[in-house]
Amino acid sequence: MASIGIIANPASGRDIRRLVAYGTVIDNQEKINIVERLILGALAVNVDHIYIMPDSYGLGDQAICKLRHKIDTHRVSVLDMPIDGTQKDSGNAAAMMESIGVKVLITMGGDGTNRAVTKGSMKIPLIPISTGTNNVFPQFIEGTVAGLVAGLMAKNPELHKGVEKHKKLDIFKNDQLVEHALVDAVTSKEMFIGSRAIWDLENVSEVFLTRAQPHNIGLSALGGSLDPLDPLDPEGLRLTLGKGGGTVLAPIAPGLIRKVPIAKSSRMVPGTKITICKTPGIIALDGEREVEIGRRDTASITLNPEGPKVVNLKKVMELSTANNLMIYDKELIQWQ
Amino acid sequence: MEMEKDMLLNMYRKMQEIRIFETRVTELFAEGKIPGFVHSYLGEEAVAVGTCSNLKNTDYITSTHRGHGHLIAKGGQLNEMMAELYGKATGYCKGKGGSMHIADVDLGILGANGIVGGGFTIAAGAGLASKIQKKDDVTVCFFGDGASNQTTFHEGINLASVWDLPVVFVCENNMYGISLSQEKHQKIKDVSDRAVAYGIPGVTVDGNDVVAVYEAIKEAVKRARNGEGPSLIECKTYRHRGHFEGDPTNYRPDEEVQQWKAKEPIGRFRKKLLEMEVCEENELKAIDEEVADQVEKAVKFAEESPDPAVEEAVQDVYTDMIEEVWS
Amino acid sequence: MAKMTCAEAIREALRQEMERDDRVFILGEDVGQFGGCFGVTGDLFSQYGEERVRDTPISETAIVGAAVGAAAVGMRPVAELMFNDFVTVSMDQVVNQAAKMRYMFGGKATVPMTLRMPYGGGISAAAQHSQSLEAWMTHVPGVKVVMPSTPEDYAGLLITSIRDENPVMFFENKVLYGMEGEVPETIEPLPFGKARIHREGDDVTVVALGGMVPQAMAAAEALAGDGISVEVLDPRTLVPLDVEAIKASVAKTNRLVVVHEAVKRSGFGAEIAAIVADECFDDLDAPIKRVGALNVPIPFNPILEQYVVPNADRIAKAIREIV
Repeated sequence: MASIGIIANPASGRDIRRLVAYGTVIDNQEKINIVERLILGALAVNVDHIYIMPDSYGLGDQAICKLRHKIDTHRVSVLDMPIDGTQKDSGNAAAMMESIGVKVLITMGGDGTNRAVTKGSMKIPLIPISTGTNNVFPQFIEGTVAGLVAGLMAKNPELHKGVEKHKKLDIFKNDQLVEHALVDAVTSKEMFIGSRAIWDLENVSEVFLTRAQPHNIGLSALGGSLDPLDPLDPEGLRLTLGKGGGTVLAPIAPGLIRKVPIAKSSRMVPGTKITICKTPGIIALDGEREVEIGRRDTASITLNPEGPKVVNLKKVMELSTANNLMIYDKELIQWQ
Repeated sequence: MEMEKDMLLNMYRKMQEIRIFETRVTELFAEGKIPGFVHSYLGEEAVAVGTCSNLKNTDYITSTHRGHGHLIAKGGQLNEMMAELYGKATGYCKGKGGSMHIADVDLGILGANGIVGGGFTIAAGAGLASKIQKKDDVTVCFFGDGASNQTTFHEGINLASVWDLPVVFVCENNMYGISLSQEKHQKIKDVSDRAVAYGIPGVTVDGNDVVAVYEAIKEAVKRARNGEGPSLIECKTYRHRGHFEGDPTNYRPDEEVQQWKAKEPIGRFRKKLLEMEVCEENELKAIDEEVADQVEKAVKFAEESPDPAVEEAVQDVYTDMIEEVWS
Repeated sequence: MAKMTCAEAIREALRQEMERDDRVFILGEDVGQFGGCFGVTGDLFSQYGEERVRDTPISETAIVGAAVGAAAVGMRPVAELMFNDFVTVSMDQVVNQAAKMRYMFGGKATVPMTLRMPYGGGISAAAQHSQSLEAWMTHVPGVKVVMPSTPEDYAGLLITSIRDENPVMFFENKVLYGMEGEVPETIEPLPFGKARIHREGDDVTVVALGGMVPQAMAAAEALAGDGISVEVLDPRTLVPLDVEAIKASVAKTNRLVVVHEAVKRSGFGAEIAAIVADECFDDLDAPIKRVGALNVPIPFNPILEQYVVPNADRIAKAIREIV
């Protein structure tokens, strides 16, 4: 069955970065609107089924409820799964969608949301729409278009040529793989996960990046102007913050542009384990404090080339054009 | 942010003060020693403590009917509080306020409030006074998800935002307005969504994580002191007890209660303190014992205190006009 | 002494008190640049600026509530409601917050705020802008209720209200705003709980509230021609009430008529009548008469409005019934 999935994070876009930075505000009503547009886009190209992650707010249910009076929504359903209102829901939903055989997964959130999703499934190609704070991994994509693309891909396997494999950073605590990051991992002297976001670089010692593009926002911007690194480039980047080197001006969070002293910069080779020396502390992943490292713990980071699969929308739409997937009876159009 | 050990342990102590005080209160209420209504703060300790740890003595708070925790966190003394719950002459309000109206203006506590949503406009007024007097005091307005549907929510926050008043609106979203679950009392899930309507920042944090609350309020307080106006911080939390002591809580499933109890703030914080080796277990145990002792002393103080003389009933209606109450 | 209207007297009192005490500030709808719905705050905005003469949103609950909060932490707010009818919108703030804060907190809080409210009919403002709600307030322990009738009393009692440590509900009659009278250059506070005898008489006591005082005076003047000597007593403040002055007057005249513009049913006249019946029964030679508006909403049409609200003729008629 040619089905697609939607995982929309109801909690994205409302963390402390509305106070400490100038984070985007996307309320849940707007997220419902986006889900509606995704559904309309995908149904327009006759996708067989759309599965939506349940959440405590009911983004999926509300979208279906609103559309019910206008279109036939029997091909849209919210997954039957228990939820606990944390990021685990996203991972569980992704795993469930993988087992159902969902062909493309649209995510709505920021970098953190996609990290949570990819913990559950790394196999389904993702179309990440940004409704979060730091949006390096996801992009500002119109939901209607994302829905169309996902629907076309579900029905047309040849379009999967437009899927790219990204890298990730694996985080080991006491030699156990505990987490991964899609964009950046940061070691900090802070002790608590607390309000999760990381915005004060005072306590940050090292920054590890899977990508560093000059147009990025967040910590990957630090590397962007220093040693640009494409998401598809096999290497990673490791920056040691501190005096003794140069200073980089970078947008480390929405609206927060800082001069950051960089002592050392080096490329990361896939598979090499880098031990984190400073403990106790925190490792923040994709902008959020995530892993606490106690005084007696050990921790290390490895660049892993086997990261998530991401849909290159432009490529897919070019392929779809080449295959005339969006045009019916092309010959009847009068060409001048 | 890096946090000092003293501060972390003080936060732990304050949360334990609330936990042990409130646990005793539920027992004493069940024994019939405390008259009237009691709305327990058990389970929400991290919100009050994470918030008030950012406040100085001259800052103000407006509290709610579920106010014991706020008062303790803002520096309320257990003896006077317990005595007030007993209705004794030595209580904060000489026995005339009770659980729902404990206040100590000297500590900047502008009162618990028996009217849901009663604090919004009073907080705006206190903030207005600070602004006019060019003081750097801030006012924190505690309120619940239920109160966010009151008219005062809109008028108070609108006034505070249009005048850039130094007020931090702290929503304790415990998912119920009395017996009505949030999904039945408002269309939204995150009360912080409403901030955008007032042109102010709205943030949601884990209200059972004292550090998360502390960090968010710290930024909001900084903003307020800096003249940048109010913020709305929503803390997701849960009350372990019913709306009031004696509430049959037939409106919420047991498993929901158990899920939230597993996330309760003090055990979590204690575990973190030990994991991160901020302190030794015996240090925490010593605090637990000191606090338990303090609470027992408060109970003894309350029980041994006299009831107010009946003449007290006619005092404090006005600053003067004592005679008028008779005619 | 200077000649001024009641509105001017109120403004002058505000000015002198703002000058004297920088804790005093004004808040309300259109009180700033606009000068107030009835022009009472006038030029105070240009003199004291937007910080102390604050235009609020149309949020009566917030106006009263913010005054309560500011008063509780040391300010002396003078809040204005455009019409006393709108206090119903902010009733919780008056009744449950302002009035009870001190008592509930065991005397630890003081709420020195003044709430100014224009009341009464006479301008075809219809049912939601013409009521006289003073009795509602007198029923709430914790607030004081002031209801003057002359420029001098408005000015002096407003000063006292602002300096009072308690919440004061200050009722201003819309029709009286334009009435002129002498006011001292430097306004001195006038005591609460002291009635003013506007006209001495021997045959009957008329206790008239606020805007009814001039009507009672007109009735007294008319009846004087018929040899009926009317004493007109203006309590000026309802809480506290000068019971002694009323009793003394009734002891002299042995007859009582109570007049107010509010509807007669459950009006403050009932309270005064009850006190006198209770405490001066032996002095009375006739039943106590109450004159108030008909028990209806105030109608819009001027003829209907005049029919509903008491006036000198109706007061005179009530007096004749017992003299």
